[in-house]
Amino acid sequence: MSQALVTGLNGLSYSFILFLLAAGFSLTFGVMGVLNLAHGALFVFGAYVGLQVIETVNAFWLATISAAVALAVIGFLLYYLFLKRLYNKVPEQAVLTIGLSYMAANVIQWVWGPRAQITQAPEILTGALKVGGLSFPIYRVFICGVGLLVLALLWWIQDRTRWGAIIRAGMDNKEMTVSLGVNYGLVSTLVFLLGIALAGVAGILGAPITGVYPTMGDNLLLLTLIVVVVGGTGYIQGTMLGALVIGLLDTFGKAYVPKTALFFAYILFLIILLVRPSGLIGRKVF
Amino acid sequence: MGDSPRELPAGDTRVADGTATSLARKIPRSLVEIGLPVLVIAVIVLLLPLFIPSFVSSLVSKMMIYGLFGMSLNIIWGYAGIPSFGHAAFFGVGGYAAGILFLKVGISNFWLILLLAIVAAAVVAAILGFPAFRVFGVGAGAVNPIYFLLATIAFGEILSRVAIAVRPVTGGSTGLSGIKKLDLAGFGFRMTSGRYYYLVFFIVVVCLFVMYRVVNSHYGYALRGIHDNERRMQALGYNTWLYKYTSWIIAGVFGSVAGVLFAFFGSTMIPNNLAMVTSDIAFLLVIMGSTTTFFGPLVASVVYVGVEYLASLYLPDRWPLIFGAMFVFTIMVIPQGLGVFILKWWRRLFSGSPA
Repeated sequence: MSQALVTGLNGLSYSFILFLLAAGFSLTFGVMGVLNLAHGALFVFGAYVGLQVIETVNAFWLATISAAVALAVIGFLLYYLFLKRLYNKVPEQAVLTIGLSYMAANVIQWVWGPRAQITQAPEILTGALKVGGLSFPIYRVFICGVGLLVLALLWWIQDRTRWGAIIRAGMDNKEMTVSLGVNYGLVSTLVFLLGIALAGVAGILGAPITGVYPTMGDNLLLLTLIVVVVGGTGYIQGTMLGALVIGLLDTFGKAYVPKTALFFAYILFLIILLVRPSGLIGRKVF
Repeated sequence: MGDSPRELPAGDTRVADGTATSLARKIPRSLVEIGLPVLVIAVIVLLLPLFIPSFVSSLVSKMMIYGLFGMSLNIIWGYAGIPSFGHAAFFGVGGYAAGILFLKVGISNFWLILLLAIVAAAVVAAILGFPAFRVFGVGAGAVNPIYFLLATIAFGEILSRVAIAVRPVTGGSTGLSGIKKLDLAGFGFRMTSGRYYYLVFFIVVVCLFVMYRVVNSHYGYALRGIHDNERRMQALGYNTWLYKYTSWIIAGVFGSVAGVLFAFFGSTMIPNNLAMVTSDIAFLLVIMGSTTTFFGPLVASVVYVGVEYLASLYLPDRWPLIFGAMFVFTIMVIPQGLGVFILKWWRRLFSGSPA
């Protein structure tokens, strides 16, 4: 039982990392209509940028911020150099971003070497919380806290602000929203950049847990896509639920039945596709 | 070879104008225009091993195998408008079936192995088709393409994980090795590398012929109709689901033939042959070759295998960078694909128009 609680915390923190990734992915897809299959590669790039900053100035907070900023810049370039010309062509966007993620993985390997990098959490966050004879790593509690903060922020933006209203309106009917005089282009570009920056934050926050190596993007991308489908697109709470389900399933599966755990996420994904293709909480798409 | 389903070449009207050459007036246009290059290429490929070192002819074998792989994906992508991201699932099932039958079951007759591998791939495709087309939706590009895309990626990933998990049969993560073509006695004599080249040539030509007939039949035109406007095809009384589902199986079957040829070509099968890495090759071949011509992926496969060979000689560490750059270059610079360029060039040459 006590073991299950610790595993539960591990699963929860993993879920929040997945949530940051999936929220970024579904923001870029939902708001800009951009299918960014390089999202996993961006996560890895963010992690490496963060690691580089930690190595030079040894400041975790600065590393997190610089990872987010670096990715926002890359996202901006990505949009203006490539994706702008592929508006509404989803298979083409997929081809482009697949190519870019191969390139990114190889460039990262070129610059930082093929070996996995291991980072330490900042000193304040190392150690463990002792609660009734059980010890919970503080860093994992911290990740859950950050994840909850981002969730609250995105939820608030989605439901309570003018921007959220513009985004929801744009997802329903873009032409109508634009014709009402709303500057949808500005809002959607900023939200797109926010989504990509979130991948960088996830990268550096997740680094002490998942480790960082150049080709990890592929696996994370697949899990991210599964989270998005299981949770459903269009609502931030759906993404959170999907991330929780997949993160906990994966962690408990690996802890108790390591051999078959590989399949759990995929099998759940296929069941969802067959039974409830719009996801657990999502806009009806069929 | 193939006429493009949607591109209307500029040269077409000239034949009717009477400005065409006298040759074209006597012989049916398509016979010269399609038959001539096919014949010339076939003769060149047949005679090639006599003049070139064997490592080049093995590259040509690889071009033919990958060409078949890409063209099989083009049946569903280019004609029916279904961009599958997991075509390696069928390639790998074919290859693994061949490897298992040859190494573990002990069948040495190539034709029997080919037949059983095709059956295996058709069964897998028939099963996977149900969830796939449950989420594909109706209409060009579907409602939310991410679902179909992810479903097809997941198929390949699940199968590659199965291949890793059932170690006694599939060899686990190291895969199967020693699928030696030299031990094949299918032709009634021992196979050698040189003879394998002709076997690949023969099977690829037969497959191309069958695929050409399929996509230019009534059935193939129905697929194009579904690509352009599925709702209208439904209104005309077509069971579009059945058309998409069967085309998915047909593409899977031809993909598996490429897989069988590949297994004996490289004499190994690894789990990655089922996964996204291999699917992306087919994907690149189709987009680079163009989705609007029949033969496009074959042209792209010549370019792809050539680049891959040069990269393995000079820049082996930078191969993923080059591979990725080929995607980006294709989509940003030649989005219509190489096949369209060649078709235009050939039509212009044929119709005798200047420039």
